[in-house]
Amino acid sequence: MPLLRLLLLVSAALQLACTGAPAAPPDSSPQPIPDLSGHWEVDYGRSDSVQTQLNARFREIQRELRRRQDAIERGAHYQGVPLGDPDGLIALAQMAELITEPSLLEIRQTGREVRIKRENSFALICNVDESATGLKTTGLGQEQCWWDGQLLHFFLRLPDGLSIHHQFTRSADGRSLSQATSVSSPGVGTDFQIAQIFTRFDPAARGYRCTQTLSRGLVCTTERGEESEG
Amino acid sequence: MRWLRYLLWFATSACLLGCASQDVATETPQPPRSLADQYGPELSPQPLSRSVTPLEPYLDLGILLFDPGVSDMDRSPQGAVRRLESKLLARELRQVLVDSGEWGAVRILPEASYLTPVMIEAAIDYSDGRDLVVSVSASDALNRVWFEETLRYRAHAAAVDAGAGASSADFAPLFTHIHNALHQYWSQQTSSDRLAVIRAADIRYAQELAPEAFAGFLVEEAGQMRLARLPAANDPMLARVDRIRRQDYLFCDTIDEQFVALYEEVGPTYALWRLSSAEQADWLEHYEARVAAREAPSDAARFATMQAQYSAYRSFRMQEQELYELADAFDGEVEPRVLEADERVFTLTGTLTSQYAQWREILAQIFRLEQEPGAL
Repeated sequence: MPLLRLLLLVSAALQLACTGAPAAPPDSSPQPIPDLSGHWEVDYGRSDSVQTQLNARFREIQRELRRRQDAIERGAHYQGVPLGDPDGLIALAQMAELITEPSLLEIRQTGREVRIKRENSFALICNVDESATGLKTTGLGQEQCWWDGQLLHFFLRLPDGLSIHHQFTRSADGRSLSQATSVSSPGVGTDFQIAQIFTRFDPAARGYRCTQTLSRGLVCTTERGEESEG
Repeated sequence: MRWLRYLLWFATSACLLGCASQDVATETPQPPRSLADQYGPELSPQPLSRSVTPLEPYLDLGILLFDPGVSDMDRSPQGAVRRLESKLLARELRQVLVDSGEWGAVRILPEASYLTPVMIEAAIDYSDGRDLVVSVSASDALNRVWFEETLRYRAHAAAVDAGAGASSADFAPLFTHIHNALHQYWSQQTSSDRLAVIRAADIRYAQELAPEAFAGFLVEEAGQMRLARLPAANDPMLARVDRIRRQDYLFCDTIDEQFVALYEEVGPTYALWRLSSAEQADWLEHYEARVAAREAPSDAARFATMQAQYSAYRSFRMQEQELYELADAFDGEVEPRVLEADERVFTLTGTLTSQYAQWREILAQIFRLEQEPGAL
């Protein structure tokens, strides 16, 4: 049964390809991991807009529906991609908008830790020393991070299954940072992806620096170190 | 070739199933193991015990800085928070004891000492902002253990919110319990027993400075101490010991001032973190109850559900991170102290415990110098 063996091999190879996608934490790439440190601000001109992405997804759904309709009319068997739940897709798009709201990032990176502070949101912290899997579990959710060659992954899963996957990568010239975010939920059957491009900026050039704090609100510090709260 | 088509279908389906089920984190987040199983039942709040007539003589109490339950080498944010809590909780306990009006001076000490007749020691076994488990014991200068207990208390979000404001006293029932246990023991002592504890502390403190001069005043019987005799009231050496002890108090009072400043600086963030932890834990429990009772399919695909979950998580992580950063900033930051003794000014550096050890060594040297001027 050489054909059967071939099929099983193909199946195994496909399985391997599937499992290798988001699930393979530390990788033994010989390339050094890039330094993402610095202050970054979103470049709206080069970033996806949630509305544009959503329109594109609905156009895809419309095309798919047309193909199905045509197939039914022709009496042909048609096996297309799953359509997913349109209401759920809108919900995911709204979530993606909320999740990718921070327009400023401050990244500090040491040999063992990457800390991505995001404006008005929680920091994404990856401690590569913590454990081989970089897994952090609380009753409220589960976070995992890992380096995959040049890509830094952060994965968050919340109790009802909402999953958020961020992938950060720096351009070769070090001037841009890309954040690809994928949001999915078990009830929707598809995910929603959005890519943002960040460019470096120098906070000192503005003459002041602001930090959002919970207890003191927005705290701004001038270059001279004088503080004012607002 | 029909079988081939089936095989292809099987292979593709297996792959797609594999792809669909494969995920980065496949575990469903689990709530922590029951604290009741580990540490016993939760403490019931009690009213603060008060005496009808004052329990004289007033008893001075010492609170040893809480053992944070993490290694000094633990440089994680959680470790920094625990070390911060060990100071904040010691101060909260002190406040409850002081506010009760039943005791003399209540001092926080970096190291066990006979500076006070009774010493309260506590170790944080568990703390997540909502649940606090501490192992507490109190013992006196006669080596008697007044009580030894593991206490668990849960601060619910509503209580935290109502009591908090800028700083929180939501674990007050736990500290009230400690006060009540101390009060019960002390009120059962006769007047002479109470005096004996205070005298024993005086002698043991003096013995630390001049062991030979104060030998024989206390005798040990079955692990406990008994007063055998007392030094004369006009003993000049006792007067010198008393002067040194006042200098020792000076150090504790300086620490206390620093703790007040620390509490003012960190207290609001610490209270917010506790409030947030309590809210999140309560929310999670309600959520689990809802999921367990739910018959209809999950409404996980609805934006409102997703948003609620994400916002809860985001808020909790923001609170946690701000506290971690603050705790990290304060961790290991001990200001050098400048203290005056014997008309000389001394600068103490290092950790709190090491500064206290330096100070006590200086006082011991002064004592020896006064005793035998050529000794140093």
